Amino acid sequence: MQLGRQVLDQQLVDRNDVNMGKVDGLVLELREGGPPRVAAILTGGHLLARRLHPRLETWAKRLMQSWGPDQVEPLRIPWEKVKKIGVDVKVDVAAADGMPWEHWVRDHILCHIPGA
Amino acid sequence: MSKLLKIALGIFTSIGGFLEVGAIATTAQAGAAFGFSLIWAVVLGTICVIFLVEMSGRLAAVSHHTIKDALRERFGPRIYMVTLVSDVLINFLVLAAEIGGMSLALQLVTGISFRWWAIPTGFLTWLLLWKGSFGLIENGVSLLGMVAIAFVVAAWKLDPPLPEVLAGVIPRLPPHQPVHYWFTAVSILGAAISPYLFYFYSAGAIEDHWDEDHIGVNKAVATVGMTFGGVLATAVLVVAALVLHPRGIEPQRYEQIALLLAEPLGRAGFYLFAGTLLVSCLGAALELGLATAYCFANGLGWNWGENVRPRDAARFTLSYTVMIALASILMVAGIDPLQLTLFSMALTSLTLPIVTFPFLVLMNDRDYVGEYGNHWISNAAVIAISLLASVLALAAIPLQLMGG
Repeated sequence: MQLGRQVLDQQLVDRNDVNMGKVDGLVLELREGGPPRVAAILTGGHLLARRLHPRLETWAKRLMQSWGPDQVEPLRIPWEKVKKIGVDVKVDVAAADGMPWEHWVRDHILCHIPGA
Repeated sequence: MSKLLKIALGIFTSIGGFLEVGAIATTAQAGAAFGFSLIWAVVLGTICVIFLVEMSGRLAAVSHHTIKDALRERFGPRIYMVTLVSDVLINFLVLAAEIGGMSLALQLVTGISFRWWAIPTGFLTWLLLWKGSFGLIENGVSLLGMVAIAFVVAAWKLDPPLPEVLAGVIPRLPPHQPVHYWFTAVSILGAAISPYLFYFYSAGAIEDHWDEDHIGVNKAVATVGMTFGGVLATAVLVVAALVLHPRGIEPQRYEQIALLLAEPLGRAGFYLFAGTLLVSCLGAALELGLATAYCFANGLGWNWGENVRPRDAARFTLSYTVMIALASILMVAGIDPLQLTLFSMALTSLTLPIVTFPFLVLMNDRDYVGEYGNHWISNAAVIAISLLASVLALAAIPLQLMGG
């Protein structure tokens, strides 16, 4: 499998078909006497900012200290939870636990607008 | 039957997207200043947009990816971000121009300054997105947009000299005012080849669950719909060439463009012009709001969709809400809508290669489009026209800014 082409930057979909972000990073495990193994998928947090530019990551961290959700670390999804890799990467987790920004926007901004 | 209906609806949709404030303002300028001699720019722009819209639909039907989704995946976050910044900036300016267009239409009818209308029209746009479904927006506004046919009727009634109109199809050097000529050509190209159309169209194809069976429908919709849009834009140019050009009126304000339909169609023409401007700008503003939200959501992996409740696509909803609010505020600040329109259309031309070149790579990548990859003709046409538009814009925008 080509990790860079088939997994990294792919759409992540949870077990209820909710879009929960992109595969922003991969965790590789080095093993003695064998090739490295993919241990987990990372999504969210300031990972995307880091990949764009290290300075952006600093800014993103500073922004999230004073504003936005508390959870700033990327979400780590164990590789065993990956169910299918096709148009999307389908994982057997519930997005409800892994989308701090989505929920922050919903609970702090949208809920004040009638009809949300 | 349902397939025919689909084609018909798709065609209406594309018209709704094609003829908006940008196309009306730029072609009216062209006709007033240069008679029929810039029709070639409308033709080139229409050819390019036919190819690009067809590609957007084909990418969605075959790969089940929207453009931005595929861009992020294929090229990684940096290239995606470059296209995102360029698209959001352009969409923002064009959205402000569309809100300005709606507001001016209301100013024409009521006499109350457009600045007072910017917030109400922006709010109406937002409310339709907030409450409406994708089908309502796609079909409702586009059907109303058929009022734009008034321009074809007007052009017909004015009985244009056919040989001269046809001669305008062939590109030529400027008869006078070279800077203004090239700037207008660039704005016409930018108005025709609006990137937000592709994002709207490709995300719409995903929302409608297209698959490979839709490739034929898609081709028909792109070709017939965009051609019809091009005919409407040409009609505006022809009417301007026959009504404004002989009198030496070069519109500096929208009020002067409103005269276009008043001569051939009388008092009704005045209201038809205001109606066309209002409806077509509303349609384009809705598409722009959604397209911008798609650009963010598709590339960053947010939950998205016009048919889900706002709270279930929170960041998606927030992004169009913020865009519309900021664009309305820009109009309240009193920026001249006509100048903003012409400038943002020229800027669209300038940034075309940023948008079209990565997209072309996708359309030739078998991992995405399989056996349905691009024909070399569509590659060549899109590369040639977007490069031409961009190079001309690079030269014409600074010269126009210095001169005007």
